Order: sequence, then structure tokens, then C-alpha cells
Amino acid sequence: MLPLLPFLAFTGFFLIWPVIAVTIRSLHGNKNEWTLANYTPILHHGPYFHAFVVSLKLSLMTAIIGSIFGALFAYVIVKYAHGKFGAVIDSISAVFANSGGVPLAFMFIAAFGVEGVVTKVLKSLGWDIYAGHFTIFSFTGVVLVYSFFQIPLMVLVFKPAIAGLRKEWEEASTNLGASHLTYWRRVAVPILTPSFIGAFFLLFAGGFSAYATARALTVGTVPLVPIIIGTLVDGNVISDQANLGDALAVGMIFVATIVMAGYIWAQRAAAKWRSV
Amino acid sequence: MAERMKKFSLKWPLITLSSFLAFFIFLVPLYGASVYSFKGNGGKGHSWVNYQWLIHQDGFYPSLFTSLKLAVLAGLLNLLLMVPTMVYLNLKGQRYKSLIDFLCILPLIIPVVSLAIGAQVAMPKMLQNSEYELVFFFVIIALPYTYRALDTSLQTVALKTLVEASRSLGASWSRTIIRVIVPAIRSGITGALFLTFALSIGEYTITSLLHWETFPTWTVVAAQQNILGAIAISVFSFVSAIVLLAAIALFAKKRSKRVEVEA
Amino acid sequence: MRKRLITGVIVATMAAATMVATTSASNAAAIDYSKCTDLKSCGGMDALVKAAQKEGKLNVTTLPRDWANYGEAMDLFSKAFGIKISDDNPDGSSAYEIQTVKTAPASKIPDAVDVGITYGIDNANLFAPYKVVNWNDITPAYKEASGRWFGDYAGVIALSYDTSIPKAPKSFNDLKDPAFKNMVAIGGDPSGAQEALMSVFAANLANGGTTGNVQTGIDYFKSMKTSGNFVTALANGQNFVAGAYKVSFSWSFNGPGAVTTAAKAGKTVKYVIPSDAVIKGTPYVMAIPFNAPHPAAARLWTEFLFSENKGKGSVDLGSTKGMSGSKIFAAINGGQNVWISGGALPIEYDAMVAKKTNATAPAGYEIPAGAKIVTPTPAEQDAAKAILKAQWPAIATN
Repeated sequence: MLPLLPFLAFTGFFLIWPVIAVTIRSLHGNKNEWTLANYTPILHHGPYFHAFVVSLKLSLMTAIIGSIFGALFAYVIVKYAHGKFGAVIDSISAVFANSGGVPLAFMFIAAFGVEGVVTKVLKSLGWDIYAGHFTIFSFTGVVLVYSFFQIPLMVLVFKPAIAGLRKEWEEASTNLGASHLTYWRRVAVPILTPSFIGAFFLLFAGGFSAYATARALTVGTVPLVPIIIGTLVDGNVISDQANLGDALAVGMIFVATIVMAGYIWAQRAAAKWRSV
Repeated sequence: MAERMKKFSLKWPLITLSSFLAFFIFLVPLYGASVYSFKGNGGKGHSWVNYQWLIHQDGFYPSLFTSLKLAVLAGLLNLLLMVPTMVYLNLKGQRYKSLIDFLCILPLIIPVVSLAIGAQVAMPKMLQNSEYELVFFFVIIALPYTYRALDTSLQTVALKTLVEASRSLGASWSRTIIRVIVPAIRSGITGALFLTFALSIGEYTITSLLHWETFPTWTVVAAQQNILGAIAISVFSFVSAIVLLAAIALFAKKRSKRVEVEA
Repeated sequence: MRKRLITGVIVATMAAATMVATTSASNAAAIDYSKCTDLKSCGGMDALVKAAQKEGKLNVTTLPRDWANYGEAMDLFSKAFGIKISDDNPDGSSAYEIQTVKTAPASKIPDAVDVGITYGIDNANLFAPYKVVNWNDITPAYKEASGRWFGDYAGVIALSYDTSIPKAPKSFNDLKDPAFKNMVAIGGDPSGAQEALMSVFAANLANGGTTGNVQTGIDYFKSMKTSGNFVTALANGQNFVAGAYKVSFSWSFNGPGAVTTAAKAGKTVKYVIPSDAVIKGTPYVMAIPFNAPHPAAARLWTEFLFSENKGKGSVDLGSTKGMSGSKIFAAINGGQNVWISGGALPIEYDAMVAKKTNATAPAGYEIPAGAKIVTPTPAEQDAAKAILKAQWPAIATN
């Protein structure tokens, strides 16, 4: 336990302490009295509850897309991109994984907007993507834009796992007469599963709390919890509900804790499966 | 024969598919934005004016320097804190892993806005008067990535064997970590460092809520009344971060090769 | 000197400490600028300018240069008095300003805030009472009796459009035409952004709704979304340049700035006040936080913004070196006129028209003849927000 002290002290002071401060504020009303009133709007089936549903849906979808395509990219990179090229890809992934907000939203508008580069090319080929109801400023659009940072994030965190698959294991199983498919099913997949699950939950959590990009891309028409928190703390219209924002943040931590419990369970199950 | 055929049939479709995807999801949007950044005055023609405008703005170099400085410090502090922690977790502290994992993923879940508000309420004023407070928060928001990157790569090495060998040869703990473990988990460390660095250099929300001027917050002020300039700034930040990290990566690779040869 | 002493005594409500300070006005340092409540108790213009120059800095917050001509106001103030202005987070909001006043470390507290009226009302205890020289010209309904906050300027919701589109819109009704498919956008989430909220009020009014119930306005946007005319893009400069939308709703006082900025990026923008709805916003309000780090500069900035002077702008102003504070102040444009030239309706407008001190407003922002001007009350705005919060997210379901 002792070697963990620096870490615990650091996170305790810079992470837990501010979170406690926010939690305490969420339990206060506008006149500084103690109250649970900030939590009641979340529990009713109103707009706040709805926002939790939309947020969960978005983070689940983008985590699925991000983890599948990210794993594919990671595999291709490990297998076929060596040396300098691999190092450059690492750098690109790190920057892409951290992109967001107005600049990222703008890139996609410039590409897939009504007058975007892709839109124009497709139109000249006879396919007008804006003829129907598609717009980049919708839930679908937000999912698309989120892949821009979810996939590279998956590449970065999952690549070491694939790189850790030893050539000898594949050779050994082939020598023992296993087919390529059997090797994957019996050796590679079980080894990769815990890392995959871990990375998946990371993406899920990231998608759950990301907000600058969705906020820059829509006008409140894709209601996400973090956007609402941002509006409450940082909006022009509502003047007395900053503490409701704190309550929503505590609600997010609560939901995430449940998800994390599922994650830990999944990790243990995977470890058991691996040892069988 | 069958084996050969399978390899051939998989390699190129995979490479083609991923290149195609990467092209559409990553390169096309970047290209789309940069088209606007290369427009000339009044939106006419092609030129570098928006980039020239950018580097001649007051505060361009100072804010860039501040951001680089804070990012380097955050990257170093992060490794200093997390490498020993992660080694311990994977070596002896397995049962604390779930707890630490949860603590490390928290910064992703807590909306940054709330973290910044909490920081303003809870941090001592002395700290709040120094721009170095950002370093600590950059480390915090980088934790989810650092944890995962280091953990994954630690799991791929035979940690116990390495440590036992090193310790039995009389090496101290710090020496074991620096000379034995760090080289073994190089890929994880580079990943963690790059993510922290890239995150710190582009961080906007906390910086802005804590009222500091770094490159990202400076650009918002500078880009007012110049739309094309604002777009040039986004493209510049993006591309320069990639170039910078790639240069470091290539340099590190060259050095590590030389070390291997010498060894 | 003697006269000052007498005036100091006459102002009966003044604190004893301030009176002592006033008696020694020749020594500017003795005045506590964080406590003086009007120009007289601050020692007069010369002393105030001197003290502000000694502080040398002014913290403002969330002032976009394009917004209500604030760029010119800041440039002029800085140039005239040699005081450096730092503008924190120009894209921020009223809530951000209040948050900053409450939680920022001492040196970063803004010296003056410009917030939505409800923020002024709810946070009056954060602000120091101060009455500007032109206090009596401020509409009584929009000021706090002791001077903790007071209205500064307002705007009218206008349509802004790219002149390259085939048909120029003149009203909300025009925008229903299929010719505007994929073209119309709004400047934010109306349950969170004031300008967007007022745009919904305007659409509501244009379609026969009353300020008491914005349902008609929401239905307007819903049907515009169904027909594909309304795109849920965020109306801002970059998205406009990228062609994400062609028409949006905006405060009239952002017009002149937006037109110039767009022109630099190769787009021609025009503003027009819609013929079927004239919504005038409740004014924004100015307030000086108690703990302003540069109290003299804060008060000088406020006097400047509420001055009705007609003088020189930042471009024409020569060197002010060696001039006395009151001379400089008299030589430059007052803030009220800076706002007028930016297309805003300053709070002292009527008084200025009577005194004939108002500058000429930019052309093209005229309210159509015979139109009835409507201003939703703060209570009506709150009611509208409650409905919008539940219904707005459901406008787009794809």
C-alpha cells in the first residue's frame, strides 16, 4: 500500500477534493441552505432524465464503433506498419485522440456540410446527401464526428496489447496443428479480451463526458448531460441554477460508477475465462 | 500453400480497407478545413496570409511557449507519478487495481466544467495565483490514458522475472525501474507521454475557466474578427502538434537503436 | 478644494471614511476608490483618471470585439488613458462572469461586468454601488436604486443573410419558402443563449403568438425543421464561411461588426429587421464587483461607457500625453455613442436625442415603419425557457 501513497495523495487533493466540493454544492440551494431539491428534476421523466438516456446511447454507440474500428487499425498498424511509420502514426493518433470542440466540429462541417468538400464530390457523382433528412448537425453527425477521436484513442490504448502477442505463440499453435482461425479463437482473442474490455470502457466514459464537440456542432438539439451542465454553469439565460449543474455532475459520476462496476465484473470474468 | 494464400488474401484487403477509412474519417475533414485557411484576403485566391497574420500577432510566441512549458512539465510529472504506481500495481498491489483503475477513469467521467468549478472552490488561493496549477490538472485529466497505456504494456512483459533478476543482481528499486522496466515498456511510456503532451497543449476548458492564457485560450482572443485566421489557427495547432510529436518519436527511436547497438 | 469639502458634507448618505478622503482630494492616493459611489466622491475626473492610470490596468470579461462595438470602446479607452485592457474569455457568458466574480483569485476578478438583467438582479450583493454622472438619464425600470447595477444597451432581433442567395428574406414568413432549404440557422440553444431565446420570441410574434406563450414560436421552428429549411447548425462566423447556413437571427448591434468580419473572409452579409416581428431585448446591465482589483479604472471605464460625449474615435484620436483627465474625457466619444455607431440602442438614447448629442446610427438597421416594438419581461422569459427546455431538444429527431 505504501508505494501508492504519492498517487493517492495527488488524486486525493487534485481530484477527489474538488469533486467533494462540487458534491457539497449540489446539496445546497440558492440561499445556501441544505437541500436535496437539486436532485428531484433528474429523477423525474423530464428533459434531464431524457438527456441521460441520449448521453448513454451516444457513448455506447461511439464506443462500439470506436473500439471495433480502432482495434482493426491497431492490428493493421502493428502487423504492417513498422519503424518510423509506426512512430509517426503514434503521434498522429495522440493528437487526433485529443481533438475536439469548435476546431473539430468545423473540420467536419467543412467536409460533410451542405457545401463541404465531400458533399460536393458526391453531388457531382450524382448523390446528394442533403436531398433527404441527413445533416451533420444531428445525432448521426455527432456519432460520425466522435469517431474522429474515439478510433485513434482505441488505437493508442489497444496497440500495445496487440504488439504483445508473441510470434512464438502463433508458431507454437501452428506447430501443434492448429489452423489460423483456431489460433485466434483459442489463443489471441482470450489474451486480448481484458485489454479490449478495458479500452472499450475508457471510450465509453470518454464519450459520456465529452461535450465541447457536440456543443459546437448542434444548438441544443442533441441533449447531452455534459452540455446541459455546461449551459447551467456557463449559460446566459438561467441565472440561479448552477447548483443543479453540480447535481447533474454527481448524477454522471453515479451512473459511471455503475458502469465501472460492470467493467470490473467483466474484467474478472475475462480473467477467469482466460485461465480456463 | 494454403497458409500462403490466406496471408495474401488478408493483407491487402485489410490495408486497403483501413487506408480508405482513415482517408475519409481523418484526412478529408482536415483537408476540408485547411482549404479555408489557405484563402487570401477577402476570401480570394490561395495564399499564406492567414498563417503570416497568425505568427505576427502579439502574444503568439509567449503563449505558445507557456503551453509547451506546461505540457512538458505535465508529461514528466505524469510519468514520475504513474510509472512507479503502475509497476507496483502489476507486481504486488493487484488487489488495489480496481480502486486505482476507478480513480484514474474518474477524470474522464467528471465533466471538465465541474472539475474546474470544484478546483476554484477547493484549491488554496496561493496555488490559484500560479499558472503552474494547470500542470496538476493536466496530469489529472491525462490519468485515464496514462493508466491504460502503461497497464497494457506492463501486462505484455514478464514483469516479475525482470524485477527478480534485476534485484537479485543487487540493483536498487529506482535503478530497476529506470534501467530495466522503463526500456521494457517503452511503447506504453511513449503512448502515455504523447497523450499527456497532446492533451496539455490543446486543453481549453479548464485553462479558460481558471483564467490562464495558454496557446488555446490566446487563440480565441486573437481569432476574433478574423474568421479565416481562426481556421488557420486550428489547422496550425493540429499539424504542428503532430509534427512535434513525430519528431520526438523519430528522435527517440534513433537513440534507442543506438543504445541497442552499443549494448 | 474648499468647494469640494462642502459638497462632501452635503452628500449626506456618504460614509465618514469617504468624507475624510474627499477633503484631501488633492492627494489622490487617500481616496478609497473601491468605496467611492460617484464621480464627486471619487475626487472628480482629473483625480479619477490619475488614479486609474496609476493602476494601469483594467480587467474586463467576455467582451467579443464584434459585440456591440466593444472592440472600438476598448481601443479608444486604452489609447486615450494609456490603460491596458485584458479581456478574459471573450466568448464567455453571463453565468461565467458571475462565476468569475465569485471564485477567481483576487487579481483576476473582472473590474466591471456586462450581464443579462436577471444576473444583475440576482447577484446585486456582489456589486458596489456607483452612480455615473448621467445616472438620471438611465430608464428607471432598468437600474438598481443605489447603483449596484444599471442597464447599458439593448438590441433588436434582425435577420442576417448572405447576399449571394437568390432571394433576400424580409420576414420570418419569407423563410418558409422552399427556396431557403438547408439555409436557416440559429445562434445557440434558446434555453441557454439569450440571443437565440429572443429569436424564438420573434418567430413567435411573427406567427401570431404572444409573449406570454412561445408555443407558436417553437412550432415555427419545428415545421421549418420538417421542411428542411432550418438546419440545426450553430450560427457563427466559421460555419457561415463554410456555407453551413445562409440566414440566421442576430442582435442588430452585432451587425456592423459581423458585416466587416465576413467581408474579410470573402462573404457579403446584410442585416434586416424582420417586417413581421420587432423584438427588442431587455437591456444588458453594467456592474462593478465589490472586489474589483482596479477600482479606479473600473469607475473610469463605467463613466466612459455611460458618457454621452460626441468626440473622437480611436482612429482619429491623437496623443493625449500631458492632457488632464477631464480634458481627455471631453475629447473622446462617450461609450453611449460608441454603442450607437455599433447599431445598439444605448440606455440613455432618448435623453441624448433630446440633447442632440447622439451620433448617427449605421444605415440599414431601421425598424420598419409602423412596426410595434415588443419586449418580453424577465418573467415571460423564464416561462419561455421552461417550455423550451422540455420541447426544444425534440425539434430534431434524426
